Amino acid sequence: METILIIEDDAKLAGLLEAYLSKYGFRTVTVEDFSSVLDAFLDSGADLVLLDVNLPKYDGYYWCRQIRSRSLCPILFISARDSGMDQVMALENGADDYITKPFHYEVVLAKIRSQLRRVYGSYAQQPEERTVRLGPLTLYPERFAIQHGERTSELTQKESVLLEALMLKEGRVVSRERLLDLMWEDQHFIDDNTLNVYITRVRKKLKELGAQDAVETVRGAGYRLNIAGAS
Amino acid sequence: MKLFLKVQIPLLLFYAVQMLLVPLLYWLTGEGRPFSIMLYGAAISGSVLAVYLAFRYLSHRRLYAKLSEPEAYIDSAFEPLGDAPLPEAFEKLLESYGRRYRDRLGEEASRVDSQITFMNRWVHQMKTPLSIIQLTAEEMDDAAADSIREEVDRLRKGLEMVLYTSRLDRFEDDFSIVPVSLRKAVSETVAENRRLFIRRGVQAEIRVAEELQVYTDAKWLRFMLTQILTNAVNYSGGSGKTVTAAAFQRGREAILEIRDEGIGIAPEDLKRVFNPYFTGERGREYRESTGMGLYLVREICKRLGHRVELSSQPGEGTTIRLIFDSGIL
Repeated sequence: METILIIEDDAKLAGLLEAYLSKYGFRTVTVEDFSSVLDAFLDSGADLVLLDVNLPKYDGYYWCRQIRSRSLCPILFISARDSGMDQVMALENGADDYITKPFHYEVVLAKIRSQLRRVYGSYAQQPEERTVRLGPLTLYPERFAIQHGERTSELTQKESVLLEALMLKEGRVVSRERLLDLMWEDQHFIDDNTLNVYITRVRKKLKELGAQDAVETVRGAGYRLNIAGAS
Repeated sequence: MKLFLKVQIPLLLFYAVQMLLVPLLYWLTGEGRPFSIMLYGAAISGSVLAVYLAFRYLSHRRLYAKLSEPEAYIDSAFEPLGDAPLPEAFEKLLESYGRRYRDRLGEEASRVDSQITFMNRWVHQMKTPLSIIQLTAEEMDDAAADSIREEVDRLRKGLEMVLYTSRLDRFEDDFSIVPVSLRKAVSETVAENRRLFIRRGVQAEIRVAEELQVYTDAKWLRFMLTQILTNAVNYSGGSGKTVTAAAFQRGREAILEIRDEGIGIAPEDLKRVFNPYFTGERGREYRESTGMGLYLVREICKRLGHRVELSSQPGEGTTIRLIFDSGIL
């Protein structure tokens, strides 16, 4: 389990990031005393650092240099500033990447994963493959496969994305907008009809696995996943 | 020269009167002197006057030149005028006015500067609460969350516009021209704004060749594309419509065309769409219309050396063309 140190002086934002990242299996540590960030870093044993630029006392660039003098661990800046100059500053002070506010969770997660993969190589992927479990249903988002009891079935990438979103919000409605957003492609954007087709396919796959009537349509809102025997 | 002579007129008149007074005195006292002597005297005195005037002109000529054509010397307003007392005093006067003027200008500039700095800082400060609202809304899943996300999107765009508008004033420090892949810029901008497309039920179609590149600044290009696409989607007028981005090459030029299928622009408004704060009839129907989008696009194009054209068929749609003068395949 990798440890991520969150250096962000806005407690609320730090809390949200912490909650989100722990959901994805990371251990998180936040900094409370901004006069001794370096000590906090050394104590935490962090594998990766999320670092805000505007901090009380010293700014993020300063702490980035301090951390760099002691460690090579990946440092991701989170900043409101988005000009080229600021990004250059960050990289020159030893950062590995840059995320601008306001950001989406997926962006943070993707950047964290790519840094960890790059720096720690296969070690980061190996211990366990990411899985989403819901009652008897297990989804393997990294290799697009779904398992129900003893039976497994292959999915397409889109179906996997769709199912992951539904499983993470089990029992609650996921709006069509949200699903369309997740399934956005560069070239052809998914329209309502295509989404219907994907939903139908997911239903069919679940049915083949023996999980019937699992995806429920909620008129005018979206879809809801109900799995019998789920938590 | 003309001004110099004009200034000397009283002296010349005074001198002429003097010259007449001497023969008059001789004539009155009855002392008959030959006319030639008197003429000779006048000639000597005249040449002394001429030398005086020449000296006077030479030592003051820069002052007079400057005084007679102030506009022509505007760039060298503070150059030394010579060391005769009058030019020197005048030079000092100019200098002290100049100093006062520069001080005022400096104060004003630093006031504007600190206002820009304040605004930028403020915008950046707003981004943390915006992040928190956005992340919190991502965790929620009812209709209210969708509406919050929509508003957050609008706030984000509004803040971005404030930032870019203030950056426009310092454009020289803030751009770098590099080859940019048009396809990549367009599809990334579309992806960034995908929630807007989804919400309005508008399709995006991108027909830009993979290998087409243009010389431009990537950041400003994306800002322009966001403005154009946002307009195109907002004015598409309902779901099922398509916004098409297509690019082609014409000679040395690369042309990017963004077309919507909306209600179009009335012919009488066409000329004014690039004016700041112009929203037009249809703009008033949309709350987010600030009338600044196209104005900024045109200003940025001007600075980057691109051109922007707009054509519209009422009822059929609007097309905006960005023209880059050297497209590279």
